[in-house]
Amino acid sequence: MTFQPVPATTEPTTTVPSSATGPPIPESRRGFGTDLWRAVARNRKAVVGVLLLLFFLVLSVFPGEIAPYSPTAEVFQPGLGPSWQHWFGTTAYGQDVLSQLIWGTRQSVVIAFAVGGLATALAVIVGVSAAYLGGISDGFLSLITDVILVIPIFPLIIVIAAYERNAGLFTLVIVLGALGWSYGARQLRAQTLSLRRRDFLEAARVRGERKSYVILHEILPTMTSLIVASFLGAALYAVLFAAGLQFIGLGDPNSQSWGTMLYWAENNEALGANMVLWAITPGVCVALLGAAFALLNYAFDEISNPALRLRKLDITGTRERPKDATITAPTTSDRILEVRGLSVAYASDEGPVVAVDNVDFDLHRGEFLGIVGESGCGKSTLMYAIARLLGPPFSGEITDGEVIFRGRDMVKLGDRQLRHIRWREFSVVMQSAMNALNPVLTIEAQMRDACKAHSKMSDKEIEKRSIEVLKLVSIDPIHLLSYPHQLSGGMRQRAMIAMALLFTPDLVIMDEPTSALDVVAQRSLMMQIKELQERLGFAVIFVTHDMSLVSHFSDRLLVMYAAQVAEFGNTRQLFDNPRHPYTRALLDAFPSIHGPRVRLTGIPGSPPDLARPPQGCRFAARCPHATPRSIAVEPPLFDVEGDLVRCFLYEESAAEENVRAGATEGVA
Amino acid sequence: MRFVARRLGFFLLTLWAAVTLNFLIPRLMPGNAALAMMSRYKGRVNPQAIHALEIAFGIHTHQSLVGAYFTYLGDIARGHFGISLTFFPDAVSHQVLQALPWTLALVGTTTILAFVLGTFIGLISAWRRGGMLDGALPPIFVITSAFPYFWLALLAIWLFAIKLGWFPESGGYDVTTTVGWSWAFVEDAIRHSILPAATILITSIGGWILTMRNNAISVLAEDYVRMARAKGLKPWRIMWTYAGRNAILPNLTGFAMSLGFVVSGAILVEFVFNYPGVGWMFLQSVENQDYALMQALFLMITVAVLLAILAADGATAVLDPRTRDGA
Repeated sequence: MTFQPVPATTEPTTTVPSSATGPPIPESRRGFGTDLWRAVARNRKAVVGVLLLLFFLVLSVFPGEIAPYSPTAEVFQPGLGPSWQHWFGTTAYGQDVLSQLIWGTRQSVVIAFAVGGLATALAVIVGVSAAYLGGISDGFLSLITDVILVIPIFPLIIVIAAYERNAGLFTLVIVLGALGWSYGARQLRAQTLSLRRRDFLEAARVRGERKSYVILHEILPTMTSLIVASFLGAALYAVLFAAGLQFIGLGDPNSQSWGTMLYWAENNEALGANMVLWAITPGVCVALLGAAFALLNYAFDEISNPALRLRKLDITGTRERPKDATITAPTTSDRILEVRGLSVAYASDEGPVVAVDNVDFDLHRGEFLGIVGESGCGKSTLMYAIARLLGPPFSGEITDGEVIFRGRDMVKLGDRQLRHIRWREFSVVMQSAMNALNPVLTIEAQMRDACKAHSKMSDKEIEKRSIEVLKLVSIDPIHLLSYPHQLSGGMRQRAMIAMALLFTPDLVIMDEPTSALDVVAQRSLMMQIKELQERLGFAVIFVTHDMSLVSHFSDRLLVMYAAQVAEFGNTRQLFDNPRHPYTRALLDAFPSIHGPRVRLTGIPGSPPDLARPPQGCRFAARCPHATPRSIAVEPPLFDVEGDLVRCFLYEESAAEENVRAGATEGVA
Repeated sequence: MRFVARRLGFFLLTLWAAVTLNFLIPRLMPGNAALAMMSRYKGRVNPQAIHALEIAFGIHTHQSLVGAYFTYLGDIARGHFGISLTFFPDAVSHQVLQALPWTLALVGTTTILAFVLGTFIGLISAWRRGGMLDGALPPIFVITSAFPYFWLALLAIWLFAIKLGWFPESGGYDVTTTVGWSWAFVEDAIRHSILPAATILITSIGGWILTMRNNAISVLAEDYVRMARAKGLKPWRIMWTYAGRNAILPNLTGFAMSLGFVVSGAILVEFVFNYPGVGWMFLQSVENQDYALMQALFLMITVAVLLAILAADGATAVLDPRTRDGA
C-alpha cells in the first residue's frame, strides 16, 4: 500500500454523477490494455464477432487450399442445384458457387481492413489535431468534417464511379477511405476536447513537451476504444458500400468478389431461374462479415462503457449475519425514522459490492442529522436506500434491513404505496441541481409534476404554491418560467430545496446540497436551510463530506467509514471529544476557525476495496492504533456514554450490556 | 436565432460544396472525363443535347475554368439542369419532379416510421433493462443492421413475390392501371410499396433501436430521473418526460448522421424493385451515361438529406431549451 497523504475529506470538486450512483471502483481496475482481452472473452457478442472474423480471414488467406474448384476456370453444367459435388450449385456460366464465394472473401476482407485503416488514420489525424490545435484550425477542420458527414456519401461515390467505370480495388479503397472518416473524426475530436483540460495533459504542457509528443504519447493511448470503434464502423461501411457498388455494376465485372457475384446473378435473373443460392449466398457472406464488425463494434461499446453492461446482483455469496435485536417497541411519536440493519449491495464484475453494511440509526421529529464520510464510503447510497431510490432502472439493491418511517417499513412497501408517500411525507434534495433538475423542463413544469402526482390542486393553486415556496428560499417568482440552465448554481440549488418543500414534508433528505457552491454561497444556503427547518419543523438528514460544514447545524452526527457506521453521537460531543481514530483523523484534516493554528494532516492510505473488505476493522490499515486483534476481528459498536463507537479501544469503557451489536464478531 | 442562422449558413455551405463537387469531379477524373464525354458525343447527338451536356459539366469552350464555374453556378441557381438524354428532349428538372413523389412516399414515410418505432422500442428496452425484450433485441438488431439492403430486397422478392406470390415483384404500380388519384391506383401503389418499405424498415430500424437504447441507459443513470422517482411521479411520466425526452436528443443528431446511410440503402432498394423513384432514376442515369440527369439527382438527394437534417435540428430546438438559447 502506498502511503500518500490524502486529504481525508476533500472530494474532487468536479461532481461525477456516477460516483454517487455506482459502486466505487478503484482506478487500477478500470485499466484498458491487458484487461481488454479478458473483457472480450467474457462478452458473448465479442466472441461471436471474433470467430466470424477469423473464419473469413482464414478463407481469404487460403482460398486455393479450401475451395474445391477454381472459381472461373473449371466449368460444369450451368444452373445446377445443390449437391455433394456443388454444395451451393453452379452459376449460369457453370462455375461452382461455393468456390466463387471462397475466392470472393479476399476482396471484401481487403477492402474492409484497408478502408477501415485508411478512414481511421484520417479520422485520428483530423479529429485529434482539430481538437488539439483549436482556434481557426479547429473551426476549419470541423467544418470540413461536418460537410463530409452530411453529404450523402454513397450517391457521391456513384457519381465518381460513373466517370471512372469498372473501378479497381485500389480506386475503391481510396474513394471509400477518403469519404468515410468523418464520423470517427467527429467523435475523436469530442473526446480529445474533453481530455484537453485534464491534469496529465496540463502537466505534459508544463513540462514543455512538443505537441506531436503529447498527441502520440499522452492522448492517443487514452482513446484506444474510440479508435477501435472508428475502425470497426468504417470497415462495416466499406464492406456494405463496396458490395452495393459492385452489385449495381460499378465495380470491375471480372473481379472475384461477392458484390460482383450478385451483379451477375441479378443480370441472369438467378432468382427466377431457380439458381437461388447463387443470388442469396453472396449476400449471406456480406451480411455475416458485416455482422462480425457490427457485433465487435457493439461489444466494444459495452466493454468501454460499463454503464451499458448489465450485471445481475447475486448476494448468495455475501456473508450471513445474525439479526440484531431489533427494537420491538412501537414507534414513539417523537421518532419518525428508524433504520435497522440496512445493507445495500451493487453488482459488479467482481461480484457484489456491499456499499452499506448493516447500518442502524434513528431520527427524531425536527432533528438535524449529519452523515459524514469520505467519498465512496456509502453515505449517498445510504441516503438513496432510505428514500427507496435504488433498484431497476438504477443500480444497487437493498439486501437486508428495515427503514421504518412513521411506523411503516419502507423496504416492504410496493411502488404504488411508496409513490403515495413520496414528496408529501419525505422529499429529497440532491447533490447537484444541475444534474437533478430536468434540463428540458421549466422550474414551474417540474413543480407542477410533483403537485399533480400527489394532489388535486388546480393549476392556479399550483402556481400560487410554487410562488410561495420560491419566496421561502428568496428566489424571484419570475424564475418559475426559467429552465435550469438559465439559473445560477446557487439559485438552482435553492429552487430544488423550494421544490422539496412543496408539501412541507416531515423529512427532507439532503445529499451534499451545497458541495457545488463556493464557500460564501455554501454558508448562506446552510443558514437558510437551518432557518427553514426551524420554522417549518421538518427533520433533515444531511449527507456531506465536509464535517466542519455541519458542525454548527446538526444535532447529531453519524460518521461512516467503508460502508459501516464508525461513530454516531451528539455533534458537540463528537467534535469536542472524537473517539473513533477515524473521526479524529477527519477532524485533524480540517482547519478550525477557533483555536490555535495547527498543521493539518491528511489520513494516510485510502479506504478499502468494498468488493473485498478486510477481515478485521475496516480502518485498521490506516489506523495509528491498530492492534493484531483489530486487524483480525471486526469490532462491534460500543456504547460509550451514549456515543456509539466501532473500535476496540472502547471495549473496556463500554458496559457489557450496552454493547449494541451493530456488527458481529464472527467473520464468515 | 443565432442557432438558426448558424445552421442555415452551414447548410448553404454544404449545398455549395455538393454543387462544386458536381462541377469538379468530371474534371478531376483522369483524362478529364467531361471533355472526353463531350467529344465522344459531338456529331452523334443533336446540338440541343450537346448544350445540355455543356450545362451539366459547366463547359463553355470560350470560358476559363473560373468563368465556367460561375456560369455553372448561375445555371444551377436558376434551376437549369440541362436536358435529359434518357428522356430526350425532356428537361431534367421535369424528370426529377416526376420521380420525387414516389421516393418521398416510400423512403420518407419508412424512414420516419423506422425512427419513431425504433426510438420507442429502444426506450422501452432500456426501461425494462434485462427483461425479455432487452435480452433479445440488441443481438438481433446488431446483425440486421449489417444486412445489405439490396440483398434483403432480393430475398424479399424471392420469398414473397416469386415463391408465395403475395406481392408484386417490381415496379411502383401496375402498368395497366391509370396513374391518378383513384382508389384503385392508390391501393395498387400501396401494394407495390409494401415489400420495399418493409425492406428499408427492417434494415434501418435496428440502428435507431440500439442508439436509443444506449442513450436511454445513460440518461436513466442521471440524477433527474432518480429525482423524478423521488417526487413520486408515475412510471410512464418518468419514462417519457424525464428519460425519453432527454435520451431522444442525441438520437436526433444521430438521425442526421445516419440519414446518408439510409438514403444509400433506399437507392439500392428502389433499384432492386424497379421502383420509379429518385434512386432508381439516379442509377438509370448512371447506366445510360445521362450525366445531366445524374448530377441533378445527386443535388436533389443532397438537398433532401439536408432538409431532413434541418427538420431534426428543428425538433431538437423544440425539445431542448438549451439549444434555443444557443448554449
